[in-house]
Amino acid sequence: MLCAGKVAFVTGGSRGLGRAICKTLAKEGAFVAFNYLKHDADAAATVAEIEASGGRASAHKVSVLDKAGLVELAKALDKQHGKIDILVNNAGYGQVVPLALMEESDWDEMLDTHVKGAFLATQAVLRVMVRERYGRIVNVGSLAGVKMMQAPVHYATAKAALKGFTESLAKEVGRYGITVNCVAPGILDEGVSDHLPPGRKEEYLRHCAARRVGTLTEAADMIAFIASERASYTNGATLVVDGAV
Amino acid sequence: MDCTSCDTVPPRPDRPHTFIAHAPDTCPTCALPGEARVVLRDGKVVHLLRCTACGPQEREVHANAQTWMQEFLAKGVVPEGLTGDHLFKHTTSTCPQCLALVPAEVVIRKDRVFFLKDCTRCGPSEALVSEDASYYVKAYSFARAGTQPLIFRNTAEHGCPTDCGTCDDHEQHTCLPIVEVTDHCNLECPICIVDNNYSKHMEPATFQKIVDGLVEAEGVCETIALSGGEPTSHPQILELLKIASRPEIGRVVLITNGIRLGKDRDFAQALKDLGVYIGLQLDGFTAEVHTQIRGKDLVKEKAAALAMIDELDLPTQLIFVATRGVNDHQIGQVVELFLSKPQFLSLNFQPVAYTGHGGGTFVHDPMDRLTIPGVIRHIDAQTGGKVGYTDFFPLPCSHPQCVSLTYLLRLDDGTSVPFARFVDFEKHATLLRSSATLPATSEVEDALADVIHEVFARQDEIERGPEILKALRRCLDEMFPKQPLSAREQFRASERQSKSIFLHHYMDRHDFDLERLRKCCHHYPQIDGKIMPACGFNMFHRGAAKGPETPRAKFGRAPFSLPVIT
Repeated sequence: MLCAGKVAFVTGGSRGLGRAICKTLAKEGAFVAFNYLKHDADAAATVAEIEASGGRASAHKVSVLDKAGLVELAKALDKQHGKIDILVNNAGYGQVVPLALMEESDWDEMLDTHVKGAFLATQAVLRVMVRERYGRIVNVGSLAGVKMMQAPVHYATAKAALKGFTESLAKEVGRYGITVNCVAPGILDEGVSDHLPPGRKEEYLRHCAARRVGTLTEAADMIAFIASERASYTNGATLVVDGAV
Repeated sequence: MDCTSCDTVPPRPDRPHTFIAHAPDTCPTCALPGEARVVLRDGKVVHLLRCTACGPQEREVHANAQTWMQEFLAKGVVPEGLTGDHLFKHTTSTCPQCLALVPAEVVIRKDRVFFLKDCTRCGPSEALVSEDASYYVKAYSFARAGTQPLIFRNTAEHGCPTDCGTCDDHEQHTCLPIVEVTDHCNLECPICIVDNNYSKHMEPATFQKIVDGLVEAEGVCETIALSGGEPTSHPQILELLKIASRPEIGRVVLITNGIRLGKDRDFAQALKDLGVYIGLQLDGFTAEVHTQIRGKDLVKEKAAALAMIDELDLPTQLIFVATRGVNDHQIGQVVELFLSKPQFLSLNFQPVAYTGHGGGTFVHDPMDRLTIPGVIRHIDAQTGGKVGYTDFFPLPCSHPQCVSLTYLLRLDDGTSVPFARFVDFEKHATLLRSSATLPATSEVEDALADVIHEVFARQDEIERGPEILKALRRCLDEMFPKQPLSAREQFRASERQSKSIFLHHYMDRHDFDLERLRKCCHHYPQIDGKIMPACGFNMFHRGAAKGPETPRAKFGRAPFSLPVIT
């Protein structure tokens, strides 16, 4: 197993890609804690699915914008397990809206959830990783943050920001045995891609060598590998999981 | 140009080795006995000798520097049950009677360190050199390679200390040049370590040449100090200070008893306008202490000087000469004063050196005197542990027995926390490596990044951890604001973030240690262009090591006695 004995914290773990990441990390041997904002039943279902497969998980209703709540959660995990090995900054959402119709609140909410949320969660967990001189931080980006695509501007901006966040933080904390990487999926069969206009998905498939969209598991498998000890010399990288677009 | 680290200045090179100590040896060629420099080079231990017959010689004495160092430090561990003296090492000191250089055994006796000497002319003598053997032995582990000036003013020919000036065998560049600009003074201090003849004020043109020479030799100087005599008695002191205020020199310090400062507001304002730093002698707070140390009651004069410093917000270093049985009970009081005001940037304790016109004849017991560990113990006890014994570390810039130091971070509420409470100095020796203030080098930046992360990671375990993090953030904001600062402004901003307390033990005829002189970095630049390590100059050149009229060494050169550099 890739993550045997590890303790992982995943943001936005109740549904979609987040749930897939939680399940995969648990399958690979990690204890998985995740936070969620609204969906109690989905969070409970994620935990139940993991436990039904013999894994261990806990769900925590804390916003990624609640700095104090994240700090408390990180402290509680540290107290319980004595470490936090893996952080996956996954929390996010999609929104189809052209710039012409974009409200300031749309922009702020998108940037806050993806970028500020990653900052706050990382800051809460990083102190434990620095102390332990070990950590794997994986930021969930997007092909929209790497390549020119038809994607909402605020979404592409937020995902591109995570690429910069990844590279800069990798330099800053690499000396403590902490790697920081970004996994940038293309269009997947579930999650934020669910509500894409059909034309965009068709255009994506025309340019994709795999001629299909990806699965949540395919993205989660890459994240689990990057979060494992085996990815020890991969740092500051953005790994695209897109079937070659 | 407003710059203290101009790119066009070539950096001073590191010495090719780390100097540790002196040790007796024989010339590998002719077997003549001599004293070797023990240095660590390329992972090995090498003895460097200057044989009077064969010239420079060297021999490897150990193939593994790390192992040798462990063995060396282990020699400082007293075997259990031993009640007599334990020999730690050998060095060269001076006979307290005739001032001749004599071999000395460095022994540990009841947790203290003594020199045992036997002069062929005057007989045996002993002297206390440290009140804490553990501190003394461990200090050697802090030794780091020195740097060398761009130009040496002399060539090693006969060996230390006869070739001073500095010679190319000297192990450290000039960290602190102290220019004695006059031999006039308005006090007759019973502990005066110089020998004022009331004969000379240095000409501005001569001072200009000295400063030019310093810049030529050093490239840049972090600090230059003007001393005396009493430098404020120099009729052209402001002109001299202007000459020293140049881009290559970061900080100009006027070392003064404060008498003129306290009563001459125009003069004080002129110092403020020039950006001069004050080095204020403040050895106590009572008439009795001042009278014993400075020869008269100076309570009012010191209060007036402190009031002027406060009023004009003059950046200041306090200098406290600590004397056993005289003012050691007021050590805590000066620490509290130092911590109370933001304009006090550093506090310099000097355990008294019994040398010079006054100090050479000051009543003392060489077997019961204050040394660096003794002063630190007083600081700890008299401040209730606010600044504690374990907060201090030897400064590797000079010989590690010469200076001990602690930095204190200013918290947002105005109180201070010693860096040692949140920095592991044994791990981050870089922060102590080169000077009494933190230079803005990439090495230091790297070490500070580590410190920030370590405090961040352990903030709940460290006393006042969150406050320390806030203060570190403030340091960054003030040193690197959104609007860029000039180099000088940044320098000023950085020095307001922390304070330092350091203890510098100048040597005298009892505790003189030639290996300490070898790495001395407090130098007196002379009018002939020579740059003289301080304690060597006090011992062999002033002619006052035992008080006035002490015979000068054969190689001695009196102050103001030689042709001015051309």
